Amino acid sequence: MPYSNVEILFVEDSTDDAMLTIRALKKSGFANNLHHVSDGAEALDFIYCRGVYALRNINENPRLILLDLKMPKISGMEVLEKIKSDPATSSIPVVILTSSKEDPDIQRCYALGANSYIAKPVESDNFFNTIKEIGLYWMILSQLPN
Amino acid sequence: MNTDEKTTSNELIIANLRLAQQSEEKRKRAEELIIANKELAFQTEEKGKRAKELIIADKELAFQTKEKGKRAEELIIANKELAFQAGEKEKRAEELLIADKELAFQTKEKGKRAEELVIANKELAFQTEEKGKRANELIIADKELAFQTKEKGKRAEELIVANKELAFQNKEKKNRAAELIIANKELIFQNKEKEKRAAELIVANEELAFQNTEKEHRAAELIIANKELIFQNKEKEKRAAELIVANEELAFQNTEKEHRAAELIIANKELIFQNGEKEKRAAELIIANKELAFQNTEKEHRAAELIIANKELVFQNEEKEKRAGELIVTNKELKKAEEEVRKFNEKLEKKVVERTAQLEAANKELGSFSYSVSHDLRAPIRAINGYARILEEDYSEKFDEEGTKVLRSIMRNSKKMGELIDDLLAFSKLGRKQVAVTDINMNALVTTVKDDFLVEDNEKRTTFKTAVLPPAKGDPSLIKQVWINLISNAIKYSKYKDKTCIEIGAYEEGNLIVYYVKDNGAGFDMQYYDKLFGVFQRLHLQEVFEGTGIGLAIVQKIIQRHGGTVWAKSVINQGAEFYFSLPNINA
Repeated sequence: MPYSNVEILFVEDSTDDAMLTIRALKKSGFANNLHHVSDGAEALDFIYCRGVYALRNINENPRLILLDLKMPKISGMEVLEKIKSDPATSSIPVVILTSSKEDPDIQRCYALGANSYIAKPVESDNFFNTIKEIGLYWMILSQLPN
Repeated sequence: MNTDEKTTSNELIIANLRLAQQSEEKRKRAEELIIANKELAFQTEEKGKRAKELIIADKELAFQTKEKGKRAEELIIANKELAFQAGEKEKRAEELLIADKELAFQTKEKGKRAEELVIANKELAFQTEEKGKRANELIIADKELAFQTKEKGKRAEELIVANKELAFQNKEKKNRAAELIIANKELIFQNKEKEKRAAELIVANEELAFQNTEKEHRAAELIIANKELIFQNKEKEKRAAELIVANEELAFQNTEKEHRAAELIIANKELIFQNGEKEKRAAELIIANKELAFQNTEKEHRAAELIIANKELVFQNEEKEKRAGELIVTNKELKKAEEEVRKFNEKLEKKVVERTAQLEAANKELGSFSYSVSHDLRAPIRAINGYARILEEDYSEKFDEEGTKVLRSIMRNSKKMGELIDDLLAFSKLGRKQVAVTDINMNALVTTVKDDFLVEDNEKRTTFKTAVLPPAKGDPSLIKQVWINLISNAIKYSKYKDKTCIEIGAYEEGNLIVYYVKDNGAGFDMQYYDKLFGVFQRLHLQEVFEGTGIGLAIVQKIIQRHGGTVWAKSVINQGAEFYFSLPNINA
């Protein structure tokens, strides 16, 4: 079965941010079962086993979704809303990654059911440590539903 | 048969004797009746005589009443004459009202007496009527007596008839013996009849007696009537005497009138005197009228003056109306001016609203600008930093010492760029942020900031000496930023000292509270004091003390927004003191 055992679904349109994040997760040891998509439409296709992901096992939900907000076509907010309003997928933890703390969408994200909201640090050491801690917290410390 | 016949014949003889006796008695009673009837007739004659006498008396009474009427008429005539005389006196004494009134009063008196006489005449007439009635009654009684005598005559005739019948029956009995018993019975019956008639005669006699008593009563009444007539004659004589008295009174009153005429003469003299007085008063009135005429001319003068004054008032009223009109015009102009001012104010307010909207729009633009600056500039800076780090981590063995230096320089500068962007963003946010003023519990606020720094102080080098801080008015989140910036500076610039000692306190100055943060750090050169609070201005090298130079600029901007001031003192290497003032809670 293709795309099986995906633990982390990483939704990020910026190549640079994606590369740096995956590198940090890899270095921390959480990138083994990570799948990266570049836009919201592809993220939903993956979740609902549509398009290129039609053959994916729909019962296999990822254990964590890292979701960037500002994306073309379907935005991160829409993806969040779709995932959290569907009972089949609403229990998947969703961590919003955003460029700055001043993002005005924080209220709406939490209202839609986001589990966490984190600003990506500009400074590289801080960035690395933040990603590492996200992995540690959500993959190791926090218990996920069965 | 002989004894029986003897007895019956004896009985018949006895019966006949009895009959004869009874017939004798009847004859006697008849004779008595005749006598009674004669007496009755005589009495009726007498009654008739008395009735005639009564009639004569009545005629006399009538004559007397006529006489009285004549006298009454004479009295009435006399009264009329008196009234005429009174009128004559009234005519003569028009000026003597009191005497005339007395005469009138006397005539009233006479009138009253005339009325009394009329009343007496009425009484006499009434009494004559009464006598007439009694005469009529007597006539009726006489008629009754005549009727009764007739009745008695009738009964006497009946008795005679009855006697004749008895005689006939006796003859019959003589003829018929058998019928004697019946005849006796008839006789008994007839005796009863006779007894009844005798009783009737007794009753008639009683009635006659009663009527005789009645006649006696009426005779007594006639006597009384005669006495009354005599009494009334006496009364008439009395009234005639009274008339004489009245005439004497009239004569007296005439003398009185003569007295009053004399008084009138005296009164006329008095009137003449009073007329003289009146003439004097008339002369006085003429003088008074002349004075009144003079006063009237004075009033006319004053009236003329009033007319002149009224004209002046009218003129003044016209003037006032003109001024009122002018006032109305000025009021209208004022209202126009007010209206213009109001319109101008409205325009100004509209402009203010426009400018405010423009400012808000500009603020919003700034806000979205700074948001997109922070948002969009971060990503490339993050990328530069990240990639530089990759180079350092994974390709450092490929770099020589120079290359590594260059790489580190790139990283350092891009990191700085990120910090500058953050600080710029923070500073611009400050300009846009509203200051939400409230009472700040400064002790609690500073404790929070201190504790955060102590938590980060892993090496436990920092000690705080904090006095009790009075509360102040301000925006707690902004003032917290002030404390954070000042305390972090104090810690940063003390890092080369063994121990970091930071003193926090405050004192009152008028309406303000002055807070201070004192450290024992590196201090700064007072020569460059004016650059201390400048944006991105630094007095130390980045390598010695890192920082962008925005912290104190932020502190100054916040305190200025609160209406306070910030200043500092320092001696190089001995530390620095930073002060800021805030309004106290009572301000």
